Amino acid sequence: MNSKSKVPCIPIEGSINWEDWLKGRRYRRELGNRVAPEIIRRKTSSSDRRLKKLFNGERGLPFTPTEKL
Amino acid sequence: MDAEKIKSALADVTDEQDPTLKSAKLASLCSALWAERGVELVVVGGSAIEILTEGAYASGDLDMCHANKATLSVDERKEIMGLLAAKGGPRNWQVAGMYLDLLGPVESFSHTPFRRIEAPYGSFLVMKPEDLLVERVLMTFYLGESQTARDCAKKLVAMMLDGIIPVNWDEVRRLANLPEYRNLPQCIKLVKEVADELKIKSPLHPD
Repeated sequence: MNSKSKVPCIPIEGSINWEDWLKGRRYRRELGNRVAPEIIRRKTSSSDRRLKKLFNGERGLPFTPTEKL
Repeated sequence: MDAEKIKSALADVTDEQDPTLKSAKLASLCSALWAERGVELVVVGGSAIEILTEGAYASGDLDMCHANKATLSVDERKEIMGLLAAKGGPRNWQVAGMYLDLLGPVESFSHTPFRRIEAPYGSFLVMKPEDLLVERVLMTFYLGESQTARDCAKKLVAMMLDGIIPVNWDEVRRLANLPEYRNLPQCIKLVKEVADELKIKSPLHPD
């Protein structure tokens, strides 16, 4: 458990269970948003051709908005 | 894993529309199936950072490597991935509405363990954040500054400083001094920058 929040950490030793990992998703997104823009997916890469073909011109599925995590 | 369970897991991964959950579930399913043949897989690169940070960084491909020395023949790969109705191979597949790239043996310098997530179809391994950070800082500066790599590294550092992803900072320092990286000053600078933004002390900073 992180000392400052009630969110379970991803430990060095052992493992985190699925429910705890899910529980931390919003906290992790919000924390990252404090130091960098929310969406930072690269605009291009060498995989563009196959990705855009599969994802209707995008490079992947849209990210779930923070408030819905 | 029996055929019914595989079928139901595959349907779940295919239906999943959240990209991070989809990657994590696919990593869980593939790890379980390959582990039955003695091969331990680990999520690496941007896919690993996404799972650790929720950073909205990854694209629609999942990068995995072998974490142990075992490997599978082309026929065995075809058989396993055939269970998931995967197209392509033997190192890249379109599966469950995304791509899986199997990149070969993992390259890790950290003495810390891979992180482990207990997921719906079995646990899976995630690359060590100590390695991920030093590598991402290298990518930030190697070919001129990359803003995306920098943002990605900053998000990872934020998790580490917060403690939501505990790390061994001595290992980060050691890795950054290795000939493969030689980027300790850049690591110290970036960690300090994020620590200042979060108003906490940098564990890599001397004072």
